[in-house]
Amino acid sequence: MSDPVLVIGAGVAGLTVAVELADSGVETVLVDRETSVGGNALNLYKAFPTDDCFYCFESNRSRPGIRKCFYRSALLDQPNIDLRVDTEIEEIKGEPGSFEIRLKQGPQYVDSKKCTMCGACTKLSDAFSLLSPQCQPQSVIFNPEKEDEGSSKAEEECPTGAIDLNAESSETTLTASDIVIATGYQEMKPNQVDEYGYGQYSNVITQLELAKILDPNGPSHGALVRPSDGAQVRRLLMVQCVGSRDENYHPFCSKICCVFALKHANIIRRERNGTDVSVVYMDIRTYDRHERYYREAREAGVEFTRGRVSEVNPLEDGTLDITLYDSLLDKYFKTNVDLLVLSSALEPSTGMTKMIEELGLESASGYVSPANLLDTEVVAGDHVYACGGAIGPAEVPESVTQARAVASKILQERMR
Amino acid sequence: MAKTEEKTVPPVTLVDPIELSELDRDFREEIHNMPNGEELGACFACSTCTAACPIANSWDYKPHQLIRMILLGMREKVLASDEIWLCLTCFECQERCPQNVRVTDILFDCKNLAAEEGRIPPNVAELGKELVEQGQLYVITADWEREDLGLEPSLPGLQTEGVQNMLKESRTGRLLEEED
Ligand SMILES: Cc1cc2nc3c(=O)[nH]c(=O)nc-3n(C[C@H](O)[C@H](O)[C@H](O)COP(=O)(O)OP(=O)(O)OC[C@H]3O[C@@H](n4cnc5c(N)ncnc54)[C@H](O)[C@@H]3O)c2cc1C
Ligand code: SF4
Ligand code: SF4
Ligand code: SF4
Ligand code: SF4
Repeated sequence: MSDPVLVIGAGVAGLTVAVELADSGVETVLVDRETSVGGNALNLYKAFPTDDCFYCFESNRSRPGIRKCFYRSALLDQPNIDLRVDTEIEEIKGEPGSFEIRLKQGPQYVDSKKCTMCGACTKLSDAFSLLSPQCQPQSVIFNPEKEDEGSSKAEEECPTGAIDLNAESSETTLTASDIVIATGYQEMKPNQVDEYGYGQYSNVITQLELAKILDPNGPSHGALVRPSDGAQVRRLLMVQCVGSRDENYHPFCSKICCVFALKHANIIRRERNGTDVSVVYMDIRTYDRHERYYREAREAGVEFTRGRVSEVNPLEDGTLDITLYDSLLDKYFKTNVDLLVLSSALEPSTGMTKMIEELGLESASGYVSPANLLDTEVVAGDHVYACGGAIGPAEVPESVTQARAVASKILQERMR
Repeated sequence: MAKTEEKTVPPVTLVDPIELSELDRDFREEIHNMPNGEELGACFACSTCTAACPIANSWDYKPHQLIRMILLGMREKVLASDEIWLCLTCFECQERCPQNVRVTDILFDCKNLAAEEGRIPPNVAELGKELVEQGQLYVITADWEREDLGLEPSLPGLQTEGVQNMLKESRTGRLLEEED
């Protein structure tokens, strides 16, 4: 029997690799350092290019009739997938074809197989919470930093005995035939780009933060409100290319931020009546079929200014006075908004540099670079593959296609 | 170590920005609702129209800027501009616009709005009057060209009264009367 394949990262890309391989009879260990799978696509509401819900699209295509969540339908019931959340890779040794991997899993205070999400514990203690209705495994989580008197009561009263407050972290080692890097990307925190005041003024946020506000499952149930005081947003301004295409931060174009910015602008114009949306940009890059989002945004009355923000001035009432330079008119404009949304760069996940070094791979601006530029982009090294956001900013369909390419490469290798 | 003062206010700049809220935000809708305005909002500021224009080189506001000013609500500036009247109406911009914005026609719409507000440049008003009074702009006179071609000195059977009467009754006539 061959060793299992190790998939690092359980975002859309990693999930797809795991499910495709598992369905083809290959054992897969799927590891994520978060407590839920889903990665960046968890809690994103609508997704381009279909405007479908994020949670149940793409990888269900091969399962006709299933309109329920891919994560739920495929992950836990597939015996070939060994899912380990809250788990970090401690060390990778060994040879290509038989890597030796040491994994460290955080304390499993709540046994996700037993938890029925009845909610009893969350009522007794603030330390228990549900990350998201879409979380997978479907289970509450326990935060030891918030432990209070109610915590042990919850432990005693949990109807399924799922809670163990004395749980400790554990280490395991395993041998894997192949490694798939599906560690995705993270949105840059633009604190350093000081002209925008991110981190200083609470009504200056990023697109990912806006996505959470727009999400019907989020804290405001999808209402477009200001973080400072929960007041309705009437005017909103987006700034593109924050930290991308900027030699001081990231030299590359983050590729999908124009599209999701416009997706958000359209949702706001169409579904959140009465809110004005402006976009300040250097270029709008809605590549490929996504041009339609740009046209739709203009039709929906989104305003576009080619230029840059000169300065942001917070007022007493929580709004922001913004001075803009319009390079097409060569004029400065002043406006007042409730919310400033920065389309911040998408950068490699924390720990990517270390992983690239450990595995002796090539790096491209911090992301995994293909081993052979003339060959497929998903082969990163000998028995090492990469897909999705780990090889650069990518949309979901692209990440899924690359993930399938990885699965196909591994299956071909195994058949030799 | 010397204590640095907390930065509380952003640095003062010499920029004197135009207050967006003071612009006429309905102007966009006004033009959009005119017969040629449907695609106004589709403009993505590519400036193809300006590249196509044979004359905009000498203009303060180029065609793409005029469209942008309409979108922003700079009604006063657009309707007071010379450019809308200097336009040759050659339709080059409109032909080439990749988003089907009817640039030339929109400039006509602007001229119509300006005229309604009594802002017809004197030379244009002069031409208008000529037209209303003569029923034609270029009165044919006996000249050598007609002679060379062996034509009669005047156009046989040319009747302009009808045109004159029509124009007097029309909006053109009304606007020119208001001019006086
Ligand atoms: C605001 C916003 C809106 C978007 N909207 C759309 C859209 O509408 N349509 C669309 O197609 N795409 C959209 N995207 C892009 C989409 O989110 C990505 O294409 C997709 O999430 C990429 O999936 P992934 O699996 O490659 O990476 P990720 O989603 O980043 O997942 C990576 C996973 O790996 C884990 N991980 C990372 N490093 C390690 C490690 N060292 N050890 C263990 N685990 C690790 C992370 O915890 C994470 O769970 C949007 C992105 C943003 C930011
Ligand atoms: S009480 Fe037990 S079963 Fe109920 S949500 Fe909490 S951990 Fe899950
Ligand atoms: S996708 Fe758009 S916002 Fe993002 S870096 Fe590229 S040009 Fe800038
Ligand atoms: S129609 Fe007017 S604006 Fe358009 S190209 Fe001709 S002169 Fe320029
Ligand atoms: S050519 Fe059309 S789209 Fe381009 S700037 Fe002119 S009006 Fe706008």
